[in-house]
Amino acid sequence: MNQNVERLQELLARVRRNAALPRTLVSASVPEPTADVYDRDSAPAYNVPDAEFTVEEVFFESQPPAEPEFTSQPAAQASATLDASVDELLLEDPFPSVPPGPSYSEVLEEEPIPLVSVASPHALDQEEDVSGVMAIPEFSDEQPEELLEDDIVEMTAAEAELPNVTHALDELNFDDDDLGDKRSAPPSSEEPPASSSRSKIAGTMDEALARAAEQIQLEEGREIPLKTPPPESGPQAAVALPAGLHALHAPDIEELLEADILSSGGVQAALPTAEQLGQTIDLEDARGPSLELDQPAAFHAEPLHEDPSNEELEVTLPGREFAGGYHDDLMLPPEARQELDAHQQRVNADSVPPPPESLAQYPGSPPEVALGGFAPAIAPSSVTTDSYSEGVSTVTVDAPSHAEFAPELLARPDIGPGPVAKFIRTEAPRPKTFMELLDSSLALGSD
Amino acid sequence: MSLNFDPSYALEFDFGRGQIRMAKAGERVVIPCDALLALCQGASEHAVRDFGRRLGTEAGRVMNDRLGEAWQASLETVLEHLGGELALMGLGSLGLERWGQALVLSFSHSPLGGAGDLLLGSVLEGAMQRSFGRDTVAIKLMRDDQKVRFLMAGHAGASKAGDWLSQGVAWGDVLSRLATRGAS
Repeated sequence: MNQNVERLQELLARVRRNAALPRTLVSASVPEPTADVYDRDSAPAYNVPDAEFTVEEVFFESQPPAEPEFTSQPAAQASATLDASVDELLLEDPFPSVPPGPSYSEVLEEEPIPLVSVASPHALDQEEDVSGVMAIPEFSDEQPEELLEDDIVEMTAAEAELPNVTHALDELNFDDDDLGDKRSAPPSSEEPPASSSRSKIAGTMDEALARAAEQIQLEEGREIPLKTPPPESGPQAAVALPAGLHALHAPDIEELLEADILSSGGVQAALPTAEQLGQTIDLEDARGPSLELDQPAAFHAEPLHEDPSNEELEVTLPGREFAGGYHDDLMLPPEARQELDAHQQRVNADSVPPPPESLAQYPGSPPEVALGGFAPAIAPSSVTTDSYSEGVSTVTVDAPSHAEFAPELLARPDIGPGPVAKFIRTEAPRPKTFMELLDSSLALGSD
Repeated sequence: MSLNFDPSYALEFDFGRGQIRMAKAGERVVIPCDALLALCQGASEHAVRDFGRRLGTEAGRVMNDRLGEAWQASLETVLEHLGGELALMGLGSLGLERWGQALVLSFSHSPLGGAGDLLLGSVLEGAMQRSFGRDTVAIKLMRDDQKVRFLMAGHAGASKAGDWLSQGVAWGDVLSRLATRGAS
């Protein structure tokens, strides 16, 4: 562990040294001599003025110049002055992160993209990884020590110095017009993105196996990165965390199970932790008389008839000796006497059938009386009729002998034969007009 | 004064215009009896009475126009002309009875049946009011299959007769009581 720390510190020092080198001067000086390069290599016979060389003319020419040659040629020429291995470096990268080439018009209007700034002036070997940190031996005083390629990939100057990174992001200038500022930009802005730091593909199977073994061995000793890199960005270096912070460790299942067992059955289950206690306020003891809740006695349901208290409350209602009966001492109200007499008379009158022929059949089948002792007038024992004509004028009903409470029957006195009505024919004067008859009719009923 | 009722050209059917006119009166509408009864049954008693009085008023006005001085008309003349106008309306055959001093008017063969008795009595009340200027109340004394009788009385006599009728007194006895009480 200490060795790794020392190595990382040394690597960091190297990176800082390399970052402080005026590498941008080399890349900035590349686009400048483009005109000279044109003049020297292609040597056009006639230099077209910028005003006459328009986009339309370029597109309508019969043989437009080849775009790849036009765009790549100045960069290749410029890099040839510094280091001729840039093309090889670009070709070696199996997944170049170079953006799509600009259009023909853009190439004509803008200056060539300083691709040289990404490249290292030093020729890289085939085994070395193409990373964002390039060692420049011309400007370094001491020879770089032999490093593993994983070390180089995972630790860069920009990533190691987090405050510097944020500061550099604040100072980023996205203005494309100001090329002069871009040339004088700090070297960190020209570093390749993290996505370009890919491992080189192994040439042989043995080499790939060896590299995988080294990778596994190295990953066992390092921490798991907090941020999962996107799938297209490849491996990402872990960010050095500030002091006091550490990555979350995966919970140990065995420890959790052991703690669970102890909390469920052990003494520690009843004891809260210090975090759970917080500010605990002790309650005062209860004042006043102490109350103790005693366990109530078991309730046994007993039948109600065995409870003597309930038995005293029960009163048996007197049963009715017979339905519809009245007590002998019950006196008849004085105002009901007349109604009772009238009722008895109506009962006696209704008991007589209107036609004489039906009356002859009635005594043969007297209806039975349901109420014994009351309403004997409904079933008369004998019916006598006194008729002066064929109609029935008087009916006398005798009450049965077994009636306990016989109503008082009043028989209408006999009426002698005589005329019931007398009509006297009067000669009314006949009205002469309808008006007189109407007036006399209207006068009827007025007292 | 014309004593005979002449119904000639009493009704004029204008087929071109689709109208029916009555002589010395306005347009008429021939409607089914069932529709009129349904309307009367759905309406309130006050509305039916008002509708019947409007019909009687129209009949009394026409009769006055025919007779000139209706207050001098005899029983037969009033019966003929008023009955003629009501017959033109299709309400039935008007009859007149005199029970002592009581005037009883009747309708025979009325298409309205028993459901139209209230309407018929109101028609008579309207006709008496319009023809003779008297406020009368038509009390239905009886009704059978063919005839319905109305006592034409004042408010006092109508009230007493109504009470007796509601008590089940026969309509003949009601007339007798009215004649006896009125004579005494």
